[in-house]
Amino acid sequence: MVTILPDIETMIAVLYFGLFAMSFDFISGYTGYLSFGHAAFYGTGAYFVVLAANGKVPLLGTATPFVYLLVLAGIAAAVLAVLIGAVSFRLSGVYFAMITLGFSQVLYVFIRDWDYVGSNPRDGPAVLERTEPFSVGVPGVDSLDLAIGQLAGDSIEGLLGFLSFGTTEVSYYMIGLVVLVCYFAMQRIIHSPFGRVLVAIRENEERAEAVGYNTFWYKLGAFAVSAFFAAVAGGLFAGFRRSVAPESSFYFLVTGDALLASIIGGFGTLAGPLYGWLFDETITEFLSKTGEGGGLLPYLRDHLGEATMATELYNGLTVGQAIDTFLNGHAELYIGVVFVLFVLFVPNGLLGTVRDRLGGPVAKRVAARLRGDER
Amino acid sequence: MDVATALTNQIALAGFVDALGQFLRPENLASVLVDGLAKAAIYVMIAGGLTLIFGLMGVLNFAHGSMTMIGAYLGGLLMVFAVGGATGAGMRLLTFFLALAATFALLAGLGGAVEVGLIRRLYDRPPVYQILLTFGLTLILDELVRIAVLFYGMQPTSDWQAALGTKPSFLAESVDLGLISVSGLSLFEIAVGIATVAGLWAFLTRTRYGLIIRAGSEDAEMTEALGIDVRRVFTVVFALGAGVAGAAGTLLMWDPAWGASVPLAADTLLPAFVVVIIGGLGTFRGTVAAAVIVGMADATTTWWFVNHVDFASLPEMTVFLILVAMLILRPQGLFGVEEVGGH
Repeated sequence: MVTILPDIETMIAVLYFGLFAMSFDFISGYTGYLSFGHAAFYGTGAYFVVLAANGKVPLLGTATPFVYLLVLAGIAAAVLAVLIGAVSFRLSGVYFAMITLGFSQVLYVFIRDWDYVGSNPRDGPAVLERTEPFSVGVPGVDSLDLAIGQLAGDSIEGLLGFLSFGTTEVSYYMIGLVVLVCYFAMQRIIHSPFGRVLVAIRENEERAEAVGYNTFWYKLGAFAVSAFFAAVAGGLFAGFRRSVAPESSFYFLVTGDALLASIIGGFGTLAGPLYGWLFDETITEFLSKTGEGGGLLPYLRDHLGEATMATELYNGLTVGQAIDTFLNGHAELYIGVVFVLFVLFVPNGLLGTVRDRLGGPVAKRVAARLRGDER
Repeated sequence: MDVATALTNQIALAGFVDALGQFLRPENLASVLVDGLAKAAIYVMIAGGLTLIFGLMGVLNFAHGSMTMIGAYLGGLLMVFAVGGATGAGMRLLTFFLALAATFALLAGLGGAVEVGLIRRLYDRPPVYQILLTFGLTLILDELVRIAVLFYGMQPTSDWQAALGTKPSFLAESVDLGLISVSGLSLFEIAVGIATVAGLWAFLTRTRYGLIIRAGSEDAEMTEALGIDVRRVFTVVFALGAGVAGAAGTLLMWDPAWGASVPLAADTLLPAFVVVIIGGLGTFRGTVAAAVIVGMADATTTWWFVNHVDFASLPEMTVFLILVAMLILRPQGLFGVEEVGGH
C-alpha cells in the first residue's frame, strides 16, 4: 500500500489545489466559458494572505485571524472577477478564454516586478512579520482553533485517549475541513435554481436568454463565486507553505493544471477535479525522484538487481540508465499522455464516466441499491 | 497637496518631458523603428503558422510554442554541426538556410503526423476538445525534449552558445546607416521575416493549393462538395504551420535575446496568441499588421525601460494590455470577421 498511496504532504496539496480546480470547474464546466486566466484569483488569494501577514494590506494587522483573511481574500478576488468579467463576458468561446488569459498575464507580469510585495518579487514574498502560525477554526476560541503548517502548526497528543496527530496531519484535517465546507457551498449553489440557469447557459445560451434570464448577470455572478473559492484555495496554499511565488500562483500554466485536473476528473462534475488532481499527484508522487510515498524508481532500483540494471539495451544505454532517464522526475510526460488519452477516449473523465455507467451520482445510486429501490 | 509632493511631481513631470524629448530625437526614433521591425519579423514568424491553422481548421493550437521550441533545438543542433564548420560569411549564410529548410521539413513532418494521428479524431467534437488535446500535446513534447536535453547533456553546457556564435561576423556587428547604426542581426531578421510573409502570401494567393486552402477556410463543406479532399488540406496546413514555427525557432537561435530552452515553448506561445488575436483570428493579413504593432510597442517600451522607467516587465505588460484593450474595443481583431471560431 505504501508504494501506491501518496504521502500526507502530497494529500494536502491535493486538497487545496483540488479546491482551486473545483472552482475552475464551477465556472468552466458548468457554464461552458473556459476561464483560462483563473490563476489570477488563486494568486490573489495567495498573495493577499502573505501580504496581510507581512502587514502590507491597508487596515489589516499582521495578527488578523486566518479565517478572516481567507474570507477577505475571497471577497477581493470576487471584486476582481466582477471587474474582469464585466468586459470579458461580452465575448464567448476562444475569445473569452483569451481575454481572461490576457488579464491574468497582465497581473502575472505586474506582480513579478512589483517591489511592494517583497524585496525580490521574482521569487515571491514569504511570511516574515507574522510569527504566530495560521490557524483554521473559530477565531477567538482557542480550543476550536488549530494551527496549520509543516513546522509552525499544532500537533495533537492523545485525543480521546488514543489519537495522536503530527503537525502535518493536523494541517491535513484542518485544510480538508475548509475544502469540505467550500465544496458543500459550491455544491449547494450548483443545485439551486441559480445553478440550473448556469447549466442552461452551457447547453444553449440563446434559449436560456429567450426564456427570460439575463444570462450576463448569471455568468458574472457565477464568475464571482468561482473566484471567491479560487482565492480561498490560494489562501490555504499560502497559509500552509508560508510563502508564494509568481510562477506557482499567477502563471497561466497554473490554470493549465486546474484544466488537467478537471478533464481527468470529469468536466462539469464538481467533485471530479479533486479526484483528477489526486490522480495527477499520485502519478507525480509515484514517479518522483525520491518517491517519498514509495515510488517506482526506488522500487525498481531495489528489486531489479545489479545484473539487470547493468544490462545494455542499446548503444551503451543500460537498463539502469534508461530507468533513470525516463522515470526520474518526468511525471509531466506521463500525465500529458494520460491527459491526451482522456481527451480522446474518456471525454467525461473519471467521475463523469462512473456516473454515466451507474446512471446518476454515485451516492444516490449506492443508496438506491442499498434500499432496494430498484429491481 | 504639500509643497514637497508638488515639487516631486514637477520634477517627475520635467523628467518625463526630458525623456520624451530624448525619445523623439530622430536617431532614437529610427533605432526604435528598426528594433520594432526586427521584433515584428520574429513575431510574424512565430504567429504565422498559428493563424493559418486557426483560419482553416478552427483549431487554436496550444502546441505551437512547443513546435517553435523544438525548431530552436533542432536548428541549433544543425547549426553547430553544419554552420560552425563552414568558413566564410557566404557559406555560413547558405548553411544557415539549409538548416532552416531542414528544420522546416522535420517540423512539417511532425505536424502532419500530429494532425493525422491525433487531431483528426476530434473534428466532430466541440472545438474546446481540440484546444485540450493540443494543450496535452505540449506537456508531452516539452517533457520529451527535456528528457533528450538531459540525456545527451546538451545543457547547461555552453554548447548552445556555439550555435549563437555561428553567425557570420557581419551579423554580429553594427551597420552604419548614416544617421543611425543598427545591428546587422536586426536587418537580417527583418529580411527573413519579409521573405516568410512574402512566401506564405504567394503560396496562399498565387498557387492552386493556396486557393484550395482559402476556399476550405471560407466554407469547408462547400469545398468538400466540389470534390476536394479537405481532410488532406487540413494535414497540409497543419504541417505548414508547424514547419513555419520550426523555422522561426531556428531564426531565434542567432538572436542572443532568445536561444533554446524548454520554457521557450510558453515564451513564444503567448506572444503568438496575442498577435493572432489582435490581428483577428485566422486572417493572415491581420497577423502581419498585428506583428508590426506588437513589435513596435515592444521596442518602444523596451527603450523606455532601458532609459527611464524602472520596471523590467514593462514591455511584456504592454503587450498583454494591448491584447486586453483590443478584445474590449474590437473583439474580432483588426481584420477579423465576427464570430470566427466562436462556439
